[in-house]
Amino acid sequence: MTGQDATAPVVRLQGINKWFDDNHVLRGVDLAVSRGEHVVVFGPSGSGKSTLLRTINLLEEPQKGSVAILGVEYGPGLDGEIAGRRRGDARELRQHVGMVFQQFNLFPHMTVLDNVAIALRRVRGVDRAEAEERAARQLRRVGLLQKVSAFPAQLSGGQQQRVAIARALVLDPDVMLFDEPTSALDPELVGEVLGAMRDLAETGMTMVVVTHEMGFAREVGDLNVFMDEGVIVEQGGREIFTESREARTRDFIKAVL
Amino acid sequence: MLPVLAQQVVTFSWKVITDNLDVLWAGVRLTVFVSVLSFTIATVLGVFVALARMSERRVVAAAAAAYINVLRAIPLLVFIVFIYYGVAIYFGLTFATGIQAGIFAFSLQYSAWLGEIFRSGIQAVPKGQREAAMAVGMGPVRTFVTVILPQAVRVATPPTGNMMVGMVKDSALLYVIGVQELFRNAQLLANRTFRYFEIYLAIVLIYLTLTTTVYYGMKFLEQRLQPVDVLATAPRRFAPFERRRRERLLELRERIGAEAAPTRIVAPEAGA
Repeated sequence: MTGQDATAPVVRLQGINKWFDDNHVLRGVDLAVSRGEHVVVFGPSGSGKSTLLRTINLLEEPQKGSVAILGVEYGPGLDGEIAGRRRGDARELRQHVGMVFQQFNLFPHMTVLDNVAIALRRVRGVDRAEAEERAARQLRRVGLLQKVSAFPAQLSGGQQQRVAIARALVLDPDVMLFDEPTSALDPELVGEVLGAMRDLAETGMTMVVVTHEMGFAREVGDLNVFMDEGVIVEQGGREIFTESREARTRDFIKAVL
Repeated sequence: MLPVLAQQVVTFSWKVITDNLDVLWAGVRLTVFVSVLSFTIATVLGVFVALARMSERRVVAAAAAAYINVLRAIPLLVFIVFIYYGVAIYFGLTFATGIQAGIFAFSLQYSAWLGEIFRSGIQAVPKGQREAAMAVGMGPVRTFVTVILPQAVRVATPPTGNMMVGMVKDSALLYVIGVQELFRNAQLLANRTFRYFEIYLAIVLIYLTLTTTVYYGMKFLEQRLQPVDVLATAPRRFAPFERRRRERLLELRERIGAEAAPTRIVAPEAGA
């Protein structure tokens, strides 16, 4: 929580480079997300978009590059440029950044309520009664208060993903990351999750969403980022879907629409 | 010849058992003592073996793998004799009793088997679980204790139960080094009374009772580990902790549901 700068972008990535062994998956990516902005990242599979999202909360550690949240540096930095400045702890970063996964990743041995309350209790040290109350409010927000006592296996995929959204929201994050949140869902369940995300966007939450749902992107995306082969090919507002500058972007959009 | 044989066959008598209950009971107690103590030590060791086996340090992981492979490759009977006579004599160790040598041998060999069971239990937990725990700010230890371990325990419980049953049965091998557990006592008694059939039948039944008890104990534990939705299930025979949870959740649901002007991000209970 030290040295936060309210005027700094919520997320600012600079010169992100990531290798998996010899595979250079991110080749110098820059991205800035300001407060309340909704960023949609799209591109073909293997383009590095999920890896990019996962570097924002350091689930993937870039070998090179700057990861700054509210002006605090958490990444390895740009070739010594950030050397000497304090580097924040990844655990502290994750207090500010909520994440929703493609496979939901709810804890199957805990009730829905405990799934949401556990981080408050075990990470923030909030006492049980208050943690459960705050968790229940988040569940009410996503329309699942009735399911407090259920276990994840009893829920549909759409319901599980809504619980996962509540679990991330309960820590009151500065930005929410969504990693293909609807890709594992049956088609008829996609709507309820996108609905929850749309409503969340309307509350002014800062969001970075990796998705193939172009409809959602066109409706919610303030900044739309097209990635291919580890670089950002093109980024822009809604006009990117109708008049993109790059041929690769046009080809991809034509293929998925 | 024939009349004698016929006579022996018909004179089945349970009296030899009832007369020697104290001897058999002493055997049962020692069998249970050796099994419980060995299994407890093996469980503790097994956790360390499993953690070492998964260590990112190559040397540690290789040492643990060697430990597991060597111990599992030696027949238990051979290992017991090797520890009690071989190692003890060569290195001039004097195990005060065969019981101690036996517990030593069992603890080592069972720790290798249990280590592999625990490792597979931990590795059966999907990678996404660890990521989800870390994403809400848990550190590695908190993640392991809160998220990984409870799920690993559920996976490892049935095979661990099988090992426990195996332990009770394997304890009979200690007869070779003269430990007076159940089987050895039965043997001595049979040699003295010539009532082989009655005595061995009795200990078969005793082993059956012991292993069945362990088996149903583990079954009960497995059921206890099954999650119960305390609000969706009819309030049948809830355990006290479940009843308390039910009351707490009912109250919470009602109270939060009645709060005014919530910021909903989806329509109320749509399809829920």
